[in-house]
Amino acid sequence: MLKRLRENKSAQGTLLALPTTLWLFVLLIIPLFLTLIVSFGKRSPDGNVIFTFTLDNYIRLIGFSSDCAAGQATCFDPLYLQILWRSLTLAFNTTVLVILLAYPLAYFIARAEPKKRSTYLFMVLIPLWTNFVIRVYAWMMLLRKEGAINIIIGTVAHWLGFNFVPFEMLYTPGAVLVGMVYEFLPFMILPIYTSLEKIDNSLYEAAADLGANAVRTFTKVTLPLSMPGVVAGTILVFIPVMGTFIVSDILGGKQVILVGNLIQRQFLDARDPTFGSAASLILMALTLIVTYFYTRKFGFGEEIVAA
Amino acid sequence: MTGKSLFNTFAVLAICSLALSACGAKAPASGDGPKVTASGFTCPEPNPRMEVTSTELNLFVWTEYFPEDMLDCFSLVYGVKINQDEYSANEEMYAKVASGGVAYDLIQPTDYIVPLLIRQKLLQPLDHSRLSNMKNMDPNWMDRYFDPGNQYTLPYLAGIDAIVVNTEAVKDVPTSWADLWKPEYAGRIVSIDDSRTVISMTLLTLGYDPNTHDPAQLEEAKNKLAELVPNIKLFDSDSPKTALIAGDVDLGIVWTGEAFVAHEENPAFEFIYPTEGASLWEDNWALLKDAPHLDAAYAWLNYTMQGDVFWLTLRDFQYINPNLAAIAYAKENQPEVYSAYNDSPITNPPAEVLKKGFYSKDVGEAAALYDRIWTEVKGGN
Repeated sequence: MLKRLRENKSAQGTLLALPTTLWLFVLLIIPLFLTLIVSFGKRSPDGNVIFTFTLDNYIRLIGFSSDCAAGQATCFDPLYLQILWRSLTLAFNTTVLVILLAYPLAYFIARAEPKKRSTYLFMVLIPLWTNFVIRVYAWMMLLRKEGAINIIIGTVAHWLGFNFVPFEMLYTPGAVLVGMVYEFLPFMILPIYTSLEKIDNSLYEAAADLGANAVRTFTKVTLPLSMPGVVAGTILVFIPVMGTFIVSDILGGKQVILVGNLIQRQFLDARDPTFGSAASLILMALTLIVTYFYTRKFGFGEEIVAA
Repeated sequence: MTGKSLFNTFAVLAICSLALSACGAKAPASGDGPKVTASGFTCPEPNPRMEVTSTELNLFVWTEYFPEDMLDCFSLVYGVKINQDEYSANEEMYAKVASGGVAYDLIQPTDYIVPLLIRQKLLQPLDHSRLSNMKNMDPNWMDRYFDPGNQYTLPYLAGIDAIVVNTEAVKDVPTSWADLWKPEYAGRIVSIDDSRTVISMTLLTLGYDPNTHDPAQLEEAKNKLAELVPNIKLFDSDSPKTALIAGDVDLGIVWTGEAFVAHEENPAFEFIYPTEGASLWEDNWALLKDAPHLDAAYAWLNYTMQGDVFWLTLRDFQYINPNLAAIAYAKENQPEVYSAYNDSPITNPPAEVLKKGFYSKDVGEAAALYDRIWTEVKGGN
């Protein structure tokens, strides 16, 4: 038996993949299926799920109300579409900002002396030792009206003799963006660093021999070869930002509603698991669509190296 | 510093922090001497001492809502370990309890959610013969409309939701709920994240029943409430006082206790009882149907109802206190705590405030509408 297994490569592969497959099946596929069933259900007045088949939750999500026949003037309310759009644009902005911030740093680390690189990477990782929520709370201390940033600027302005009105930074969409960028920055730095570090030094020498200047070397050699890192980082940042609700809850004062907040609220405050399930599935579908088109255009990371 | 010595430094730090937390932990109850908590409070003896074989008690309670000393004393006196989970909205608590799979013993539901919990058969009736200290409770707060005869619940604390104002920053101090809509308060209000209170308050400004079931009135309230949202800087039910004290906002729709603390921090904070009537509420203890540690739960209820224990709530959380023995004990032994409670219009409100105030009540079928209004109003910015 064991001997046969040793010879059978494909059986080995199956066996190795079995634990993860089981894990994903029990904890992902089955719950996803249940979510789908619940999303077609109805909410009872006391907030229980009545299992039936109705598309009401999906109709409500795209802005139409199912009890609209009564001749109301406005049947269409794009509220939930706005929330989805807000999440999408925030995830896009976050990703772009994170790339702009992470790339130069990753480049710096990759070109540093090998001895120093691990120290720098270590420093990138240190913030991750602190709990996610605590790091968000720290931003509250910085951004609030009488917070660190306003106090410092106020003091400087006072010295210079200016009249300073404290900035309103906390509980704004900008605060949410800053928080998201901060939280997800390391997840962009690391993959970009990995792909930059792999670039063979002789390629730079070759570019120089052929007379390419710094800009041309960057656009023709460095950037294309580091794209797999940017792509991988984008996937690691974009998808979680779409679904996160903690950052917007704390830094947005529960006023900046993202689709993650909408879903969380349906399961707790609003006690409507059927609508929450429908919203979760729409979020998943949206994320998959965006990721699909993105990876079709840029590949999944490694393909570009092969090509 | 090389990588290795850096690592060593961190390792030493980690060990130090472990050692520190070990020192801070309570010593196990031993001997017959008086039990003293970590903060130096001497625990009263239980009266009567009840038979407890459970070693744990699972509480599901509001955030920041009961005295640490009360908890420590119960642990020390009965040798029971207390596990505590927290929530910041009744709806959140209900969703968790109703979904099953939780092993909580006691919860702290507010008045209006109690009938729903009873209807869904999530609670078990209280055995009054095991609760000798029920006699300490103020009859005014017993036998209420949401649980006649206290079959399922016992009062914990009561309070008021009203308007708190920083009178230093706000020249034109509001006197009614309707005043909150003034454009000059744009982005200056913190509101508790409580759908029922805020929607009921809005209904009241429109002249409707704060517990209406009428969809047309609720639709009108939704539109009216949407106009208030630009004035609200944030919703926060965990600690709305923080944004007030930090100066992020100048007005708040908050609970009694939060207003009291804000006032202690800065006397410029005043609690305004709106002319339309403030929102009143009563929080309770209730025993879940599948409570795994019944004996410990009854011992907790009976022990904490003792006047010499319950007065701690007067000291730590300034709400309306429904325990007469606790108030009497404080008057006798803790005159400062007593007078702070008794002299403050926040904790000891004028009788007419209580008479004029409204309660959020169970609205049955209409609850779905309230929940939906809340989602739509808050999402629409």
